[in-house]
Amino acid sequence: MSHTPDAAAAGNGGTFDPQQAATMLDQATRQARREFTPSPPWLLVTRGVLVLAALGGIWLTVRGQHPYRGPTAADIPVLAGFVVINFFATVTVRERAMSGVRGRSRLRPAEIATLVAAVAVVPAVMVALHAAGASFAWYPTTVMVVPGLAWAGISAARRQWQPCGVGLAVALVGVVGAFAGSAGSWLVAGVGLCLVLVGDAATTAWRQRA
Amino acid sequence: MNDDALDPLIHVPTRLKIVATLAALPDGDTLSFTRLQDMIGLTPGNLIIHLRKLEDADYINSEKTRNGTVSVTTVALTSQGRKALAAYTEALRDLLGGL
Repeated sequence: MSHTPDAAAAGNGGTFDPQQAATMLDQATRQARREFTPSPPWLLVTRGVLVLAALGGIWLTVRGQHPYRGPTAADIPVLAGFVVINFFATVTVRERAMSGVRGRSRLRPAEIATLVAAVAVVPAVMVALHAAGASFAWYPTTVMVVPGLAWAGISAARRQWQPCGVGLAVALVGVVGAFAGSAGSWLVAGVGLCLVLVGDAATTAWRQRA
Repeated sequence: MNDDALDPLIHVPTRLKIVATLAALPDGDTLSFTRLQDMIGLTPGNLIIHLRKLEDADYINSEKTRNGTVSVTTVALTSQGRKALAAYTEALRDLLGGL
């Protein structure tokens, strides 16, 4: 058994004074909360920094374009690489945290299907907006609105208010980006998502210690 | 107040760890025996002994399900177990004058 020094002194039974018990209870609770957290603060902060670097880098290349032509061919692999790494890192860490856990914490198949549909519907929404003459149809932040709202809705139904707030914040970044212009929307996306992720990390860290 | 105020079933290092670990899961979630064993660091035999004591007091419930040829045992803290841990924590606070 992996005892703390205090626990080793106390053994599995016998003398176990209240101070040792309080220390062990605190340590065990914090450790369990850390291990069960599907998106730990370090991962959220890393994602925040990477998204700021990826989208901020694109903003630097497009901000001087007159007229706007969009990201260069060199930017696309960086963005795609970020999306792929982010997806696999998130899934891997989440699966490890949720290993052996069954119940409400796990997403149900219908919820996963809703999220996939929300992402899949994005191109259709963008095409429809473009056809309707919306100038922001192809802005990067437009992509965020529907999945953000879907995540917020699913989380609200599960009464999980922190991820619900994250979903709403992502959707809000999407809406704000629509008013930032073609180049500016990349900056809004990078800074906005970075702030959302760092805020989520801070809240998660605080809840682990509470 | 003295140590007698502390629930003797929880006031044992290993069982305290078990209960604190299960309490970190949201109400309604269950944890597999193997993951719990991995987190607590006990042999299966030792863990079973402690879980049985907690189950006898209705602090946890366990369920064995079959998935093909593999049987999976899951454990969860009951509402009575959560209340017992809350009372134990409160008693500790009283004894120590606030954690």
